[in-house]
Amino acid sequence: MPGDKIYEDLSVVVRRAQNVFRVIAVLACLVLSYYWKVQVLDHKKYWDLAEANRTRTRILSAPRGIIRDREGEILADNQASFKVSLIRDNVKNAAVSYPAISRLLGISEEELRSRIERYKKLPSFEPVIIKDGLAPEEIAPIEGRRLEFPELEVEAEPKRYYPLKTTAAHVLGYLQERSPEELRDNPGRGPRIGDMGGRSGIEKQYDEELTGRDGAVIEIVDSLGRKRSEQATEEPSQGQDLRLTIDARLQAKAEELLGDREGAIIVLEPATGDVLTLASSPKFDPNKFITRFTPEEWISFINDPASPLENRAVRGLYSPGSIFKPVMALVGLDLGFVTPQTTVYCSGSLMIYGTSRACWFAPGHGSMNLADAIKNSCNIYFYSLGRQLGIDTIAAGAEKMGLGRKTGLDIPGEKEGLVPSSEWKMKALKTPWFPGETISVAIGQGQLQVTPVQIAALTAMIATRGVRVVPHLVLEPAALRPEAPAPAAPPFKPETFESVIEGMWRSVNAGGTGQGAFVEGLDACGKTGSTQVVSRERAEMLARAGKPIKTHSWFTGFAPRYNPRVVVTVLIEFGGGGGAIAGPVAGEIFKLWKDIQKK
Amino acid sequence: MMIDRQLFREFDWLLLGLVLLLSLTGAFFIYSSSHFLPGNYCLRQIIWIGISLIALFLVAAVDYKFLVAFSIYFYGLIVALLAVSLLLVRLIAGTKSWIRLGIMQFQPSELAKIVTILVLARLFAEYKGRFLSLRAAGLALLLAGIPLVLVIVQPDLGTALTMSIVVAAAFIMAGLKRKTIILFLALALVIGVGGWNFGLKDYQKKRLTTLVNPGRDVRGSGYQIMQSKIAIGSGGLAGKGFMKGSQSQLRFLPARHTDFIFSVIGEEFGFLGVTAVLLVYGLMLARMFWSVTKARDRAGAYIVFMASMLIAGQALINILMIIGLFPVTGVPLPFLSYGGSSLLSNYVACGLILNVRMRRFANV
Repeated sequence: MPGDKIYEDLSVVVRRAQNVFRVIAVLACLVLSYYWKVQVLDHKKYWDLAEANRTRTRILSAPRGIIRDREGEILADNQASFKVSLIRDNVKNAAVSYPAISRLLGISEEELRSRIERYKKLPSFEPVIIKDGLAPEEIAPIEGRRLEFPELEVEAEPKRYYPLKTTAAHVLGYLQERSPEELRDNPGRGPRIGDMGGRSGIEKQYDEELTGRDGAVIEIVDSLGRKRSEQATEEPSQGQDLRLTIDARLQAKAEELLGDREGAIIVLEPATGDVLTLASSPKFDPNKFITRFTPEEWISFINDPASPLENRAVRGLYSPGSIFKPVMALVGLDLGFVTPQTTVYCSGSLMIYGTSRACWFAPGHGSMNLADAIKNSCNIYFYSLGRQLGIDTIAAGAEKMGLGRKTGLDIPGEKEGLVPSSEWKMKALKTPWFPGETISVAIGQGQLQVTPVQIAALTAMIATRGVRVVPHLVLEPAALRPEAPAPAAPPFKPETFESVIEGMWRSVNAGGTGQGAFVEGLDACGKTGSTQVVSRERAEMLARAGKPIKTHSWFTGFAPRYNPRVVVTVLIEFGGGGGAIAGPVAGEIFKLWKDIQKK
Repeated sequence: MMIDRQLFREFDWLLLGLVLLLSLTGAFFIYSSSHFLPGNYCLRQIIWIGISLIALFLVAAVDYKFLVAFSIYFYGLIVALLAVSLLLVRLIAGTKSWIRLGIMQFQPSELAKIVTILVLARLFAEYKGRFLSLRAAGLALLLAGIPLVLVIVQPDLGTALTMSIVVAAAFIMAGLKRKTIILFLALALVIGVGGWNFGLKDYQKKRLTTLVNPGRDVRGSGYQIMQSKIAIGSGGLAGKGFMKGSQSQLRFLPARHTDFIFSVIGEEFGFLGVTAVLLVYGLMLARMFWSVTKARDRAGAYIVFMASMLIAGQALINILMIIGLFPVTGVPLPFLSYGGSSLLSNYVACGLILNVRMRRFANV
């Protein structure tokens, strides 16, 4: 063994080394306990973060339900389209990337910035759609430069497409991007930024049903965001398909007949309430609005004084004029003020309450019974009937026939119209009713206001001798149809209707005012109306100046007389006389309807 | 060179075995974290293990008293090498300290650590008192300071930090008087404040501030710490399995096969894997530190202690760094991280320890 002297005494340095090692050992244990905390105690948190890292959820937009007409013709379809979104979180330098993106996509920088501004309150990881409606070939150059623009995302989406363009535009309505407020109110699996929603018509009425459930793909991605594989896929489910009561052929014909004129045409089945046609003019092409960007067309439509977006069939308020006369007749017969045989002598004018009231036919119709008064639309007969009935009796009868309230047609925005009464006038205008006003209402003028669809529903009730149906646009699924009213007793006795229908039949078939609507072998019944849209003073002024006074032109009728199958209501604004203008239009519709039935 | 039978018997085979075990474990995880990359890092690491093993035996074979004796020449050489590499500006990974040797690259600053150990051992072996005099401390600081400053300006903060630990270890072992400690701390404060304001690069400052608040710089160095913590934490108790860690396989984890190799272990083998590796590591370090007691002289004790501290310091910094308790400074985990230079210098350090231990008996 070596002697002690050979070795230095290293005990001091050795002890120091050992102490340092002890400190390191303690430190290592502390570090290990921290690893315990991170790996075991906080495991869930980091696991979730790792999952969030490696997975990306890509939403698969669900197509909206297809809308077809009653024969199966597609009215609203979906087309493949692409959209480009910007993820604000990934923008490194807006001053550099916004101009580059604006060049890449061919959009102005202001537009891009205003898009982004619109969604500034929503979380910045949410993509903001900055261009849409792109075809596959337009996408290729953008995809090719994907790595240069990590903030951009290109996604396929189904885009709404209306193959018949303007046809039934008002019925179908249009889509617009859901507002940021709508999105905030629907957190979670609700609509996302840029989702489109129905803004009018069927698209709005059945928005919930038509909207599908978006699917999602959970993708495994690497740190550069490149997709490696798919973990799970939930297929999107398309919205519910709808079959409408609309007949596209009749609808197109009605729109063609209206042409440039402002007006509305309604065709419905009186027994079922199926609306075969609901045309409004001027029309628009809803395809033009299916973009998230405000197109110039939109601005011009909004500013157009003719309001092409307005659905006149349900929202236009008009005086019914002479087409109100059948209602007067029903009330008079029902309450026994007149019988079908009661005659009134028309000399062309009548003094009532100290004022001379003229018939539209200045020479006078002579002695008129009820049916002939309807056939010839004799004012004098109804002035005299109106004087006997009084306003409140007339109002009650009009309400029985469905005026003054919505028909319940399944389309948003229907107007109620107005049936004036003494009570209404006191409430609304704070003045008592003047008997003279009753005389105006008796021939469908004055404050009385109706929508074309109310007139169609009223005509259907006459045709069915008092059976009330709710007009509706959805044929299938049947569960969506508006609830049919509880079968109420008919407002008037069936015999009462027969006398009025006799007058309406004569009007079309026996040289009455409605003869323009005559169709060989159809046995149609109808009533015309020409409503003064300017005050009497103004009308007289125009007449003195030799200018034509154009009236709103009405026709409403049904066919055949017994077991009625179709109601046609035509309104043409400033068209002229109802018999001369609206009648023949209705005739064309009857004819086409008859041809369709033959096939 | 003749190999003495006694030397062979005194060779610490257990320590070498633990070192090899850790190295192969490292190669295993280097495979897991880089198999999807071109370059075959695993095979290259195994080749480097072979080269390093040869270096280890070579270093162990020469009596350390000669190494200590010649240390001043090594010192001169390494200072010159560092200066040259500073001039031969080759920007790789943000540092200028790589010198190209064939296909493999080599960092002279790694060797600077070893040379610092030898030169400080030589210096401190002269002072046999209980405490180091201020003059001796100043001299040591100057001696160690020159290569340290050269490494700092490379700039290679990680290596500089490891070297500082080695130097500090030497001072701890030599023993400092309170007066000296206060003086050094004051000096450190001045250098620290000055360095922060004038010396440190922006990215280095960022790394330090990120440590305080990792959420502040989510895309930069905070990103690295965050991803590393996610990898470790998501590993849980038992881990996700070999080559199944999403953080490493999908490349969310930065520097997976180099500085953050331990995060890969944490993710794929969980807390159990972490504990097992640290246990082997602890055993190895215990064996290393224990060799201090076997040193036949003061120089030997210094060598063993500083070499052990070189390994232990780097390991501690690394496992603190990857879990966000220490700034991201680019300090690899000895024996496990990929990298030839680091592997070589750690094997050489280990060779020095073995050298001292096998020569515990004085050759009278």
